[in-house]
Amino acid sequence: MSNSSDTSKTSVEPYSTNDPSIRAELSEIDRSIRSASIFFTTSAILWLLIGTAFALIAAIKLHEPGFAAGSEYSTFGRMRAAHLNSMSLGFGNNIIFGVCLWIMARLCRSPIRHGGLLLIAGAFWNLGVSIGIAGIVKGDITSVEWLEIPRYATPLLAISYILVGVWGVMAFRFRKGEHVYVSQWYFLGALFWFPWLYVIAQIMIIWAPAQGVIQSVANWWFAHNVLGLWLTPMALGTAYYLIPKVLGRPIYSYYLSVLGFWSLALFYNWAGVHHLIGGPVPVWLLSAGIVASVMMVIPVVVVAINHHMTVVGLHREGWRSPTIRFVVFGAINYTAVSLIGSAMALRNVNEVTHFTHFTVGHAHHGAYGFFAMILYGGVYYMMPRMLQREWPSASLIKIHFWGSALGILLMVFSLQIGGWMQGLQMNNPEIAFLDIVQNTMPWLKARSVSGFLLLVAHIAFAVNFFWMLFAAGSVKAKQTPTLLNPKEEGVA
Amino acid sequence: MPVEDYFELLPIILLGIFFFAVTAYMLYWAANKGHFRNMDAQSKVIFTEEEPEGEFSDSFPEKRKR
Repeated sequence: MSNSSDTSKTSVEPYSTNDPSIRAELSEIDRSIRSASIFFTTSAILWLLIGTAFALIAAIKLHEPGFAAGSEYSTFGRMRAAHLNSMSLGFGNNIIFGVCLWIMARLCRSPIRHGGLLLIAGAFWNLGVSIGIAGIVKGDITSVEWLEIPRYATPLLAISYILVGVWGVMAFRFRKGEHVYVSQWYFLGALFWFPWLYVIAQIMIIWAPAQGVIQSVANWWFAHNVLGLWLTPMALGTAYYLIPKVLGRPIYSYYLSVLGFWSLALFYNWAGVHHLIGGPVPVWLLSAGIVASVMMVIPVVVVAINHHMTVVGLHREGWRSPTIRFVVFGAINYTAVSLIGSAMALRNVNEVTHFTHFTVGHAHHGAYGFFAMILYGGVYYMMPRMLQREWPSASLIKIHFWGSALGILLMVFSLQIGGWMQGLQMNNPEIAFLDIVQNTMPWLKARSVSGFLLLVAHIAFAVNFFWMLFAAGSVKAKQTPTLLNPKEEGVA
Repeated sequence: MPVEDYFELLPIILLGIFFFAVTAYMLYWAANKGHFRNMDAQSKVIFTEEEPEGEFSDSFPEKRKR
């Protein structure tokens, strides 16, 4: 339960040994997955820029309805869905495949087999998302939130999931050593859960739609579990790897980390139905969802204690690391967003927040403030080891961090304060609905400002990334142990 | 699918039972393999000789000197 090493007294010098023979293992693993990881990360960043553009159009339209109003392709409904799917399927899944599979390969301690399988999966994935987004903009959108991609694109996505799942099983099967680190539990769980969620939701809502409220139950069971059983375990697994790895300090309590994983696995699956509180759904089902949502406090507190106690005493050193800055910011927001989410599942709180911008703020808090920030940290740790180069600009990293952090905080505060006031007013029959809409305008404008901050951050990230990727000659080599191999010592 | 025809949900229910059984088996497998014992040692498996415990392994890039 205690930190056995006092790293606060050690030098911030990551390169501990000159012996190339003991450096070979991770270099070989990193090299074996390099093509696939860089392909996925590059795709993720391109989708991030596309999704940000869609987001800004949709955000501005909410307070300036005449903006980009000349075409049916840019209506709010299509832009909003195009943004959601660009970010969740384009950015989110590509960055998961880029970073988490790399960590998975490292934890399996074996160079990956059949890396081509991942590249094929990546090609299918990005083709499917591209066709899907184009279909949404064209008008072939479905009416189901989080499943807006038209049905003709979904088989490509399913094939890709299957290929990644097969790769994950093979990587695990041929791992060296018996131990399964907690990050691997999270990754394996997510790889196991998500195809199941996706296929069941597709069958019950799109291909052989259930009737009545069953469809809504299936919809929110799926949509909430995308966050809870796909994005969350991938981000937590990444944090459980990177925080101790960067700080050189084992996780505070491994027991708590395992407890956190299994309680997430047990409770989260039930929680999504709380989105239907007040709807024509059996009360027992809603109550089960509320109980599960409150039970989620257990894994959340467990993770919060574990992450905080691992970092405590090393905040100053951690601040020097781009990875730790992003990951710790994401971990703090995991605690905040999860506790707010549990509270939102309570009936009397939900009476206020339902059908308001509060929920939109909550979704962005989780998907961006928690998930995306941790995965950014993963990219900052992974890329120098993949490319054997240093990040070209520390300033661009700082712009990325501050733009993202301030942008998402402004968005969450504006949407949640404005959303709460909106909810209170909607519950008051004395206030006319149009007055309530007018009262949300300042908060929606603040959200658009936050979108511009995020745009600046994303451009800084993309410039730094592609500068590093393509301008090899102008970028300083990184002398890390992971980058060297016996044949190239001193060259990296 | 008529709401009252729960037999049409049977494949999904069976799939759910299958996945629950797999999860339960994984929990049993993990306990049997000793993954829930000696946890302090297990928390250190991420460290290697090249990225060892007790050393930071990330920092901002140095400012470029022109």
